[in-house]
Amino acid sequence: MSFSEIWLFLQQGILSGLVTGSVYALLAIAIVAIFKTTDVPNFAQGEIFMIGGYVALSLLLIAGWSYAVVIPVTVVAVAVGSALFQRVVMERVTHSKGVGPQLVIATLGLAYMLKGLVRQTGLGDTPRSLPPLVSNDPVIIGDAFLTRLDVAIFVASLTAMVLIYLMFNHTRIGKAMRAVGMNPRAAQIVGIRLSRIRMMVWAMAGLLSALAALLITPKILITPDIAHIAILAYAAAIVGGFTSLPGAVLGGLVIGIVENLVGLFISTNAIVVAPFLAILVTLIVRPQGILGGKPQVKKV
Amino acid sequence: MTRDHWALLAAALVLSILPFAVSGYVLYVVNLLMVFVVLALGMHVVIGESGQFALAHAAFFGIGIYTAGIINTAWHPPFVLSVLAGGALSAVLGYLIGYLALRMRDIYLALATFAFGEAMQWVFLTWERVTGGSNGMKMDPANLFGYRLTNDLQAYPFVVVLAGLMLWLTVALARSQYGSSLRAVRESDVAAMAMGINVKAMKQSAFAISAAFAGIAGGMYTLFTSFIHPESLGFQTTILVLTMVVVGGMGSVRGAVAGAIAFGLISELLRQLMSVQEIIYGVILMGFMMFMPKGLFADRNRRVARKPAKGVQA
Repeated sequence: MSFSEIWLFLQQGILSGLVTGSVYALLAIAIVAIFKTTDVPNFAQGEIFMIGGYVALSLLLIAGWSYAVVIPVTVVAVAVGSALFQRVVMERVTHSKGVGPQLVIATLGLAYMLKGLVRQTGLGDTPRSLPPLVSNDPVIIGDAFLTRLDVAIFVASLTAMVLIYLMFNHTRIGKAMRAVGMNPRAAQIVGIRLSRIRMMVWAMAGLLSALAALLITPKILITPDIAHIAILAYAAAIVGGFTSLPGAVLGGLVIGIVENLVGLFISTNAIVVAPFLAILVTLIVRPQGILGGKPQVKKV
Repeated sequence: MTRDHWALLAAALVLSILPFAVSGYVLYVVNLLMVFVVLALGMHVVIGESGQFALAHAAFFGIGIYTAGIINTAWHPPFVLSVLAGGALSAVLGYLIGYLALRMRDIYLALATFAFGEAMQWVFLTWERVTGGSNGMKMDPANLFGYRLTNDLQAYPFVVVLAGLMLWLTVALARSQYGSSLRAVRESDVAAMAMGINVKAMKQSAFAISAAFAGIAGGMYTLFTSFIHPESLGFQTTILVLTMVVVGGMGSVRGAVAGAIAFGLISELLRQLMSVQEIIYGVILMGFMMFMPKGLFADRNRRVARKPAKGVQA
């Protein structure tokens, strides 16, 4: 492999990696936000994302609506559904003294149910894609080859991240979410209604998942099993530090880039295992993740 | 005789009459249920007894199947040896994973073991020279001193006896000093340490034992199945086993057995109706977690736990 080839692969890998990585980052933000505020490792994240894809698909192809209507409707529908699940199921599980395993299993229950529902509608029988909103014309950056769709995906997810950042730092509800994430008891004492904030966080996670689905599904085929993409988001959250929102973004980009570089330099077969190696290596070398802060000391 | 003894007696009676009364498919399902019972017992040891949330059960199950299957095919030893080999290799790997796991708690542990499970499935899929990759692998039937077990009926007595042995082993383990130490670690590792329990050794050995159970379950599977495909060794299977243990009642051996039989049956009965299976499954999982998060056998178990164990001073 010549030097110029390596240089080309590096550029291509990093740029394509940033595009896919930004979508993983959106899902990772959703996972981390839910984990911080409700202590739930949401194993249904991928299925919520998948539902976003199928809602958009059925509205576009079957109902025949235009993108201008489909995008807001999809995002709102998934956000509401996600908030309802928190309200109806997760609150109840927490109240019946459910801890780690119980909470995880409840989200797994949701995951199975959503997958089954999509298969039941018959929509899931053939893999499909959303029609691209932006054209697939090539864009050359440096020596790397991207499409206009790629650029749009990257810009859109970056915008979403900036908006989330602004919300967390400059709005009352965002600050309340952060407070609940830091110390729920103290937040409750200063007058924050825990259950309302938790519902809002799940709604935000649903919103981000739907957005991620709208962005990536014109590029890839969607099936009921597409939820495995969330494994990459999980890897991103772990690599970045499971309780750090900036870490989730960083982790998402790292996973995206690693995945693409592995594909270019080693083999496309190895892509599948790259995130797991990333998880294992991170957990061995730095169990709290890159931006995870100090390792937690267990209180007696 | 306690209620448990009556239940065991009834189960023994039914199991010994069964091969004369039913057809091959039912026997296959019973064999499969026995494998699930052993898997669930293994999960019970690591989650129920030691309180560690590990999600790599399918991987160890797979290691047991491939090890036993490959040994059967290559050397045709008495099947006891190949089953034990699968269990032993799983135990060693479980011990190593346990070493990494000592550094983690709760969600991190769950994620690390989950990652290990997925990585193992990838190994099964890609290491084609050994596992046959995505084409699956055909295994020779198991042997017992030249007597080949070629169908479900022939395998049945051995599968049932093995499952019974593993059940006995689990109960013995839980009643021993070692079992009490494990539960002490589960309740509070700081308190356990203060009592002089080697917490790290406890956690790591629980991992190894649980993995050994899964490996032996894998070996049992090779007694009545001659084909293995990596598809069935993914996260889904781990979740199925986790569900059995949690819905049955975490920390209860009865729960693990009852959960294994109930969910094994549900998953087998609904195999043809994939989407319905998933919906029913999802609703059962959510419903149980909402209204009965401690599982079916939790309360009885608590009453038993309050009584001091025989031979241990209160």
